[in-house]
Amino acid sequence: MLRRALPALVLASSVALIATACAPSTGEAGPSSEPQDGGTLVYATGDAEPTCLDPHVGGNYPQALISSQYLEPLVGRDADGAITPWLAEEWEVSEDGLTWDFTLQGDVSFTDGTPLDAEAVKANIEHLQDPETASSTGYLAVSKIAEVEVVDDTHARMHLSEPDSALLESLSMPWTAIQSPAGIARGMEENCAAPIGTGPFVVEEWVPQQQITLTRNDDYATAGPQTENQGAAHLDEIVWRFIPDAATRQAALTSGEVHVIDNPQPDAIVAAEQGDEITHIDAPRPGSVNRIELNAGQAPFDDARVREAFIRAADPNPGIEALYLGTVTRSYSPLGSSEPMAVSDESLFATDPEQANALLDEAGWTEKDEDGIRMKDGERLTVRFPVSTNQSVAAEQSLFEQIQANVAEVGFDVELSPVDLSTWYGVLGANEYEAVSAPYTRVGAEVLRVLYHSDAIVPAPSGYFANHAQLSDPELDALLDEASATQDESARADLYAQAQQRVLESFTVLPLYDQQNHFLTRGVTGVTTLGTVATPTFVDARIAG
Amino acid sequence: MRWIAGRIGSAVLVVWIVATAVFFALRASGDPLEAILGGPGSQAGPEAVAQAREEYGLDQPLILQYLTQLWRVATFQLGDSYARRQPVADLIAAQLPGTLLLAALALLLAWALALAGSAIAATARGPVGRAAVGVVRGLELVATVMPQFWLGAVLILVFAASLRILPATSGGADPAGLILPVVTLAIPIAGFLAQLSRDALQEADRAPFATTARSRGASESRVLLHHTLRHASLPALSLSGWAFGHLLSGAVVVESLFARPGLGRLLLDAALSRDVPVVIGAVVVVALLYVLVVTIVDAVELLVDPRLRRPRAAHAAERTPELAVGS
Repeated sequence: MLRRALPALVLASSVALIATACAPSTGEAGPSSEPQDGGTLVYATGDAEPTCLDPHVGGNYPQALISSQYLEPLVGRDADGAITPWLAEEWEVSEDGLTWDFTLQGDVSFTDGTPLDAEAVKANIEHLQDPETASSTGYLAVSKIAEVEVVDDTHARMHLSEPDSALLESLSMPWTAIQSPAGIARGMEENCAAPIGTGPFVVEEWVPQQQITLTRNDDYATAGPQTENQGAAHLDEIVWRFIPDAATRQAALTSGEVHVIDNPQPDAIVAAEQGDEITHIDAPRPGSVNRIELNAGQAPFDDARVREAFIRAADPNPGIEALYLGTVTRSYSPLGSSEPMAVSDESLFATDPEQANALLDEAGWTEKDEDGIRMKDGERLTVRFPVSTNQSVAAEQSLFEQIQANVAEVGFDVELSPVDLSTWYGVLGANEYEAVSAPYTRVGAEVLRVLYHSDAIVPAPSGYFANHAQLSDPELDALLDEASATQDESARADLYAQAQQRVLESFTVLPLYDQQNHFLTRGVTGVTTLGTVATPTFVDARIAG
Repeated sequence: MRWIAGRIGSAVLVVWIVATAVFFALRASGDPLEAILGGPGSQAGPEAVAQAREEYGLDQPLILQYLTQLWRVATFQLGDSYARRQPVADLIAAQLPGTLLLAALALLLAWALALAGSAIAATARGPVGRAAVGVVRGLELVATVMPQFWLGAVLILVFAASLRILPATSGGADPAGLILPVVTLAIPIAGFLAQLSRDALQEADRAPFATTARSRGASESRVLLHHTLRHASLPALSLSGWAFGHLLSGAVVVESLFARPGLGRLLLDAALSRDVPVVIGAVVVVALLYVLVVTIVDAVELLVDPRLRRPRAAHAAERTPELAVGS
């Protein structure tokens, strides 16, 4: 059998060799001529294709990515995390924090001609809160708004049920962006297919599984905080393509089929940094970092000593270096590095297997079975770790395997189970996990409240709860509640700092690195990202000639 | 007549089995409510959740939901997608032609490659010929065991990223985009079909009727084209139905890899988001297509091989000795 196959194998490999040898070894010279106006930019995303282009419905990251091109929020957020005017020129909050007055930019229209006025703001908040919309992210963001009062055309007054210091951050997110009320009134099906906003581009056509065509809004006049260009975009149109496979996306970029890709692989980022043909944009997402959370709600991690032992033994640094090829930086904070209020404490995460062993002995896990797994009262020290293969890239899954091997040295039995996203949520909802890694993107330190307030242990009716660490600490709750209610920025920063320190010291969280947003571009200049959830914007973009 | 009734019966059985399996598999592993409320992990408000449960009948007992779903399939009302809120029939109708085109082109190419390989193997003479036969056999083997995902990735790397002569993705107006996905799908099938048809061709080449034809002065190419190739195609032809089923499942991989819209990707996306009506609709359509193709293949076989049209006993008696002669 093998002898017969041999000539063929030789032939096949020589064909492959010849083909590789024919390939231009240095690569063609990158496009070097002057950038020009007009033209079509092709963007290839590795994120899922949205099922609805209106980010009010549901509310996930793929929707944020694309809707940033045609919808704009009331306020923006610059690269330093400061809130800036956008569709709202200015705002004022009452002493008790319960009434917010927003002044809108005058003379702005949606691309269907509907004026942007206080009525439109009211219609949008009501749309987010309407059960028929089935909103999740946006719904949570505006949950404290009791009513929007139309004072006059350019003045909208929001009445809150309780003070919300994160309101501006909530209103800066793509999931609460403002759409034409006339567009919303068309009904969900039509609005999902082509939402109408004030953004630099307009949804022209959506061919499912293939592409969305966006054409320039010639009357664009509401430039956000991150763009130089104050008028209409330079590009004629954007073709937004869905290319799920990372290697195919990369090949499409190298071969010139597309200009921008997201979710590149680490080796492609390193190659881009070394060459000059491809440009790398590193835009960490706000909110939480990528981290492992330990379920403090049940044995064995209801014992802080066992949690600390796990964290002391995990030793993720060599794995992060090797697997991500230096494209990510280790984090020691529950918050991403783009959050101005993030607090880091490296000292809590020093690797120390000896201390880990001592802690486990102290906690009563003294026996060992024949596999070297620690035992206590006949129970093995087992950690169930479900991994969502839809959210975790290959490198991250390998990192988890390395951590599994590292903690096995001190007697943990980590059961990694790769599952699809729905199964993953099901396992979490049924409390069948001891460790988990769950990304969460949200603008501002308020994400701490979403993730670590004891209220967030109670599952939403859909079965989801965000406090996977199942931290139930009244003092932490008090700090988070107070931070939510206070209007004083420095007091707020101080409260969030104390809250983060408590979270870190609880040893329920092993921070790993920023939630990554990397983009590679080729043959295009002027691509920037927004300071909110790091989605790209193309108002300044020009195709190289 | 009985033949057609049998076909319809088996189609109904296949559809019932796949619809049942898909329904329970999807329900066992997650709540379809997630799909309705904008994807897994949805934190929609309690009212939205309750409203969706009622609207989609998810508050009914499971057995009732199953029977409802089955009734819909039986009456060919596929319902609306949970996630996209569009009729499932529309979604499938939009994606079906692309996948059919892909599968049909791949099957044609596989056939062309298989017959070309067999013809080389059968007509080769002398040391060079034997070497050629070795190469063909080796290629068949390699082709058969090649994983499609890997093959596609290599083709993309070589022809799109390095040589830059073919697009890495498929689906736009450019027909060049079809080349790599079709080749990726066709090669493993070609290897399999070639192995079958080569053996049959060599068998036929040694059969008395070929010798008779040659003794009448027919050229080698005439023998090949008019006599032996028809025999060689029979075993491969009867497996074309199977091959077509294989192509439809291969489409899931190839459509994702080459970012090509189609039924495979629709099915994959829907399964990941627990979009039950879309998954059931797509699977039922695929199952029906499969039954249809197998039926067509059987009919074509009847045309190509007149012996099959006679009563079974006679046909068996006639066929056995003829095949025995060659061996």
